[in-house]
Amino acid sequence: MTGRDGWEAETPELVRPYVITKGRGLPDEDHLSLITLVTASAEDTRRPLRLSPEEQSLLDLCSAGYLSVAEIAGHTHLPLGVVRILLASLMEGGHLMTRPPVARARLADKEILEEVLNGLRAKFG
Amino acid sequence: MTEYTGNPLLWVALVALVAAAVLISRQRRAARELRRQVRGLKDHYTELENDYGKSVRAAQERAEDETKTVLKSAMRTLQGLAAEQQLVLSRLQAKYGDSALLQDLLEIDHTNSQFGRRAQSIAVLCDGWLGGRRDTASVYDVVRSAQGRIRHFRRIDILSQVDFGITSRAVEPVALALAELLDNATSYSSPDTVVEINLRTVPKGICVVVDDAGVGMSDEERVRADRLLATERASGVAGLGNPPQFGFAVIGLLCERFGFEVSVDSSSPYGGVRAVVLLPHELLTAMPEKKTPAPVTHSAARPVRDGGPEAAPVSARTDDGLPRRRRKRPMAIVPGNEPTPRPAGRSDSEQAQVMGAFQRGTRSGRDTDPEGTDRTRRTPGASSEGHEVS
Repeated sequence: MTGRDGWEAETPELVRPYVITKGRGLPDEDHLSLITLVTASAEDTRRPLRLSPEEQSLLDLCSAGYLSVAEIAGHTHLPLGVVRILLASLMEGGHLMTRPPVARARLADKEILEEVLNGLRAKFG
Repeated sequence: MTEYTGNPLLWVALVALVAAAVLISRQRRAARELRRQVRGLKDHYTELENDYGKSVRAAQERAEDETKTVLKSAMRTLQGLAAEQQLVLSRLQAKYGDSALLQDLLEIDHTNSQFGRRAQSIAVLCDGWLGGRRDTASVYDVVRSAQGRIRHFRRIDILSQVDFGITSRAVEPVALALAELLDNATSYSSPDTVVEINLRTVPKGICVVVDDAGVGMSDEERVRADRLLATERASGVAGLGNPPQFGFAVIGLLCERFGFEVSVDSSSPYGGVRAVVLLPHELLTAMPEKKTPAPVTHSAARPVRDGGPEAAPVSARTDDGLPRRRRKRPMAIVPGNEPTPRPAGRSDSEQAQVMGAFQRGTRSGRDTDPEGTDRTRRTPGASSEGHEVS
């Protein structure tokens, strides 16, 4: 069919997001927030066969260490909510575990920052 | 003898005989004439009948062609609109991905897909445009695409995957035919049952096996299905019945046009229908390559070579692909109290150099404070990475 007219400049995705999520609803906001950290659960070494390619790639992404939900979504082409649904279902299946977001780091000491600034000025300019 | 000749009766009889003979011959001639006329009339009649049948058929065909043309262009418009709407929905889904609105957008998307599929089916029946794909797709994705085009897609369960792709030309037709099969399977089985799909590699190609747990088909339905799938192709939208049954008519046409086979003549182990789609090798290709996600961040991270202090943490991310995410681990979990193996841990020697320069700079700015070095270096790194990636 190549060469026939009627090509859209942009063709829609073949597999629609609602199929990827299998029609599941969004998880609770506090359950998986943007900054929740997610990693593959350590005991889950056997790779389940029945996962969709998207779920597989999410697992691959998370197997390297903790990543925030926002980061994971950034790595995929999927809308954030879709990623959250997939992560929630992977967690239900026991393939992933979460960790509450790291407490906000203490604010850096202003004096130290000033010293660094001075040092930089002395060095570069 | 003479008395006979004198007998007037004889003469009367003779005259009567002659008259009778003349009459008979004339009658015969008349009868022959009539018979000829009748034959002529019969011929004429059959001729007329044939002509009439022909012209009725011609009129029918013309009407059908006209209907087809009208429907074809109407469907083309609708298909275009559905595709356009799908793009808009994709954009919206990306834009409002983190809001509760997404749920509704997904539902609209679902409805839109069903709408697009209906338009496609009618277009197929009218020899129309099916819509095309530029890329090959994996068999699994084509099955999922079909799944998304029916109302009860949640009841479909795909049990296996195969490592094959479908040529770009066959992606839409196979997806559409499968969608019609799945629509039948879900419509003719009870709402709490699951329709199973198995993908199998066979010597002739790949089989997509659809099993439903419905009531199966009656003999009449089976005959109709066989007729539409194997021998007699449907043409136009006439004869689909009321309410119209598109399924097998569409599938039959797609099979013929694109060279795959569908059979529904076996019954599923769950009591319903088992439909088997056989995709021959001509329609199959190797598994399509996965799209590399977000090449944009890659190019954005390029112009960092001058070794300025801010550039250092950014330049640590210039290698491509996802595996590089491994390095983020210590950074994400413990952002403060870790010894300093990081400059050495960076693989690239150039990066190490840059980091070293940065460190020397901060050291000379302040006499001795390794912890401070850590914190100041790491925090901007972590935050900027997070932003760059998303």
